Amino acid sequence: MPTSQSSAPPAPASAGQQQTLSRPSMPIWSGRRAQVVLPVGALIVALALPFVFDMFFGYSAGFQLHRISLIYIFALAAFAQNILTGYAAQPSLGNAAFFGLGGYLVAWIAGDLGQPFWLAIIIAMIASAGVGVIVGGPALRISGAYLAIATIGLVLIASSLFDFWDTTVGRMSYDINTLPGVLGDDHSLYYVVALVTIIVFAAGAVLLRSRIGRAWIAIRDSESAAQAFGVNLTYYKLLAFIVSAALTGLAGSLYAIWAQTANSSMSSVDETIVFLAMIVVGGLGSLLGSALGALFVGFLPLLLGQLPSPLNVGGLSIQVSTLTTGIYGLLLLLALIFFPAGLASGRDALKSLLARRAHVGGSNE
Amino acid sequence: MSDRDSAGLLSVRGLTVRFGGLIAINALDLDVPAGGIFALVGPNGAGKTTLLNCISGFVAPSEGALTFDGVDLLTVGRHRRAALGIGRTFQNVQLFSSMTALGNVLTAQHAHLHATFFTSLLPFGPAIAEDRRAREVGRSTLALLGIEQYCDAVTGTLPFGVQKLVGVARALALRPRLVLLDEPAAGMTLTDVRQFAESLRRWRDELGVTFVLIEHNMALVQNVADTVCVLDYGRKLAEGRPAQVLADPAVLEAYLGTAGRQEGAHA
Amino acid sequence: MQAFLQVTFSGLVTGSLYGLLALGLVLIYRTTGVLNFAYSALSTFGACFLYVLLTSRGMNFWLAVPLSLIFAAVLGAVVERLFARPMLHAPIFTKAIATLALALVLRTVEQAIWPQLAQTEHFQTPFETAAIHVGGMYLTAAALLSLVVVAIVVVALTLFLNRTRLGIAMRASADNQPVAQLMGAPVGLIFLMTWSLATVIGALGAILLAAQQRTIDITYMDPVLLLAFVAAVLGGLDSLPGALLGGILVGLVENWLALAFAGHHIGPLDISAPGIREALIFAGFILALVFRPQGLLGKAELRRV
Repeated sequence: MPTSQSSAPPAPASAGQQQTLSRPSMPIWSGRRAQVVLPVGALIVALALPFVFDMFFGYSAGFQLHRISLIYIFALAAFAQNILTGYAAQPSLGNAAFFGLGGYLVAWIAGDLGQPFWLAIIIAMIASAGVGVIVGGPALRISGAYLAIATIGLVLIASSLFDFWDTTVGRMSYDINTLPGVLGDDHSLYYVVALVTIIVFAAGAVLLRSRIGRAWIAIRDSESAAQAFGVNLTYYKLLAFIVSAALTGLAGSLYAIWAQTANSSMSSVDETIVFLAMIVVGGLGSLLGSALGALFVGFLPLLLGQLPSPLNVGGLSIQVSTLTTGIYGLLLLLALIFFPAGLASGRDALKSLLARRAHVGGSNE
Repeated sequence: MSDRDSAGLLSVRGLTVRFGGLIAINALDLDVPAGGIFALVGPNGAGKTTLLNCISGFVAPSEGALTFDGVDLLTVGRHRRAALGIGRTFQNVQLFSSMTALGNVLTAQHAHLHATFFTSLLPFGPAIAEDRRAREVGRSTLALLGIEQYCDAVTGTLPFGVQKLVGVARALALRPRLVLLDEPAAGMTLTDVRQFAESLRRWRDELGVTFVLIEHNMALVQNVADTVCVLDYGRKLAEGRPAQVLADPAVLEAYLGTAGRQEGAHA
Repeated sequence: MQAFLQVTFSGLVTGSLYGLLALGLVLIYRTTGVLNFAYSALSTFGACFLYVLLTSRGMNFWLAVPLSLIFAAVLGAVVERLFARPMLHAPIFTKAIATLALALVLRTVEQAIWPQLAQTEHFQTPFETAAIHVGGMYLTAAALLSLVVVAIVVVALTLFLNRTRLGIAMRASADNQPVAQLMGAPVGLIFLMTWSLATVIGALGAILLAAQQRTIDITYMDPVLLLAFVAAVLGGLDSLPGALLGGILVGLVENWLALAFAGHHIGPLDISAPGIREALIFAGFILALVFRPQGLLGKAELRRV
């Protein structure tokens, strides 16, 4: 028995139940308030952070900000993986290949060839998108389990080739020796990275609510129905591969600038795990989840860094640095087992719980 | 123009579908006239859903021709048929279950929207304007079915009956000329079926939509269908007005005689 | 010609090892639907255990090997209970990611309890220097032993799956788990057995590989695992003979490429680097998948609308 929306102040408990019956949980970004408050709040925090750090950390503020910048870069990579896997439902493990490609191209074009960095980054994105087409085309023919293994193969090919390039030239990693002032200074680098990330997330939020984003979600929910309603599977899956590759290339080139070096471990299975961990822990198919996942991945090593090293447990002496990846794997495992929909789903659950409380308390919207 | 009218909106000529050695549809000829409700009945396995899947492109026929409003459907890719004005529902609903009801009817208009990747990145401009109009169409479609209160509800969490209505809304939001309904009344209560019959007639008259209806509920078929076609083993057994076809002894023997058992199996 | 024969022999030996590991991957994938990216970490565990028994305890090799295999069996069962069982009904992709996480955990545990194996150590066997010369070819005892062991394992596994009640029940539950359960197959026990058996097979493969290369560390199985996956997929991911053949194919191609590229340069580029070989194998593998998405020996998957 559905209730009308414009009812008089309802009797507390039963009305609360009816409300949740007729209006079940809303998806993220659907509430007006969430649409405005969350991004604006995030923007203010992001821009104010350097000032807060200056006050609290003094001389080490730059160092601390540099660490935070990495979280933005990871958030970009997570978003890229989420578009491909969380929205368009392509279980690709190959994004680390583009991460390395972006890094090496920036090191080469800007570092060695002396071109401007913005140009190098754009070229890196276009090149990644191009490789994305070359990879995405065949990937459309390969499904499920096979795709996962084939794309891991792609990461391996990329890392072999980067390794090969390094050893042929005779270097350990591809260092970027000269950075322009804007990218060399911790504070301004933070602003550049934060700004790029915020723009990408804002544009992404608009995109995912558009015809294009709906087509991706439709493919994820039902390929047959998507086709029956005019969605060209080949085009949209390929588009997801391209967008994801370009964004991962962007993240990779920012990472190389951030680290002032690119090396073949940027394209490794471990890096792939990091990307996947972020979207699985944060939430598949959730924009907010990508950011949460990056926070998780970014802060965990910082927290573990607070532990004394080596750590003595029952006669074993353990290096904390080796522990990081293990704990990270363990948390990822636990998250997969207990929160199959990711952290962002916890937020939804919390929201509906709070909504129920409010109704039980007798207040109305 | 008049030629086309006499052939009907949808014409099926010599259609044959084989799955391995099994013949699902056998040299079928059909004409669905524009503006009516065309019911397809027949025992399970008679080829009804297969015919629907041929029309929306999920099954490629082995032989024969399919023409929709003068267009040879077999040369049109399955994702292009929505743009021609063919909408459908699925037996197992197949909603975009993580989207809201509004999201579903918005996605249904995909073929009518033209925003490109780059315009879709901007929070202003043509893509947003187009989307706003699509939202209005979507809202009014949900209102037409009386389910506007579920507008912002994630459809995967809705009761099955409402999901089926969202499925119909999705097909109508496409602004179709032909809607294929695959067992829309399965699982409905008697009152719901009566109401649904009324709505179907209203949509036919007000929206000018042609319906092809697969249905086991004979009361509904008798109530709404302008034409009934009985399929058995992929062949046409009878076709005509509901009252006369459903009284045909051959139909009674081939189909209705076994219907009781099948309805029992369904329940 | 001599060199070709020698290389073909090594191709057969490494290929049969890939095939052995691919068998383990296929067993787990078919029965529990898990693409096991943790298989290298899992297999390494058994070999590292053997290494520690040999060095720290000074145990006799032929006594330590069965002990290590029993250890591997228990480990596989524990992992199945703690990890695979709770995730049984998760989507394939989620399970695959979970095994990547599991690999990290296992690796960390290995590193914590055996810190000495973070570096490459000498892996000693009683037959490490033994070899025979046949027609100018140099065949090491370790290589011959591994061919024999793989053959025995394959025959034993085939007999087990086709002749014993439990084996037949295992195959049945791989084909159709709900039906097998209805027919009274002990599905829980079968999952446990599968993981256990696969881990023993993996440990055997890891020990044979360590015996051949005469070194061991925590990560030496990782590159092998990816090639074993290639082998399993080429075989169709659902067929045991396919997995073995796929492994041998990969091993042969790898060694032939090494022979063809040895000492060659393209301009300043040294194409005999192992990385180039690996990249080529993977590129070929991806191409093979594009033209035969169901693998070389796999059956085409039927899809329904």
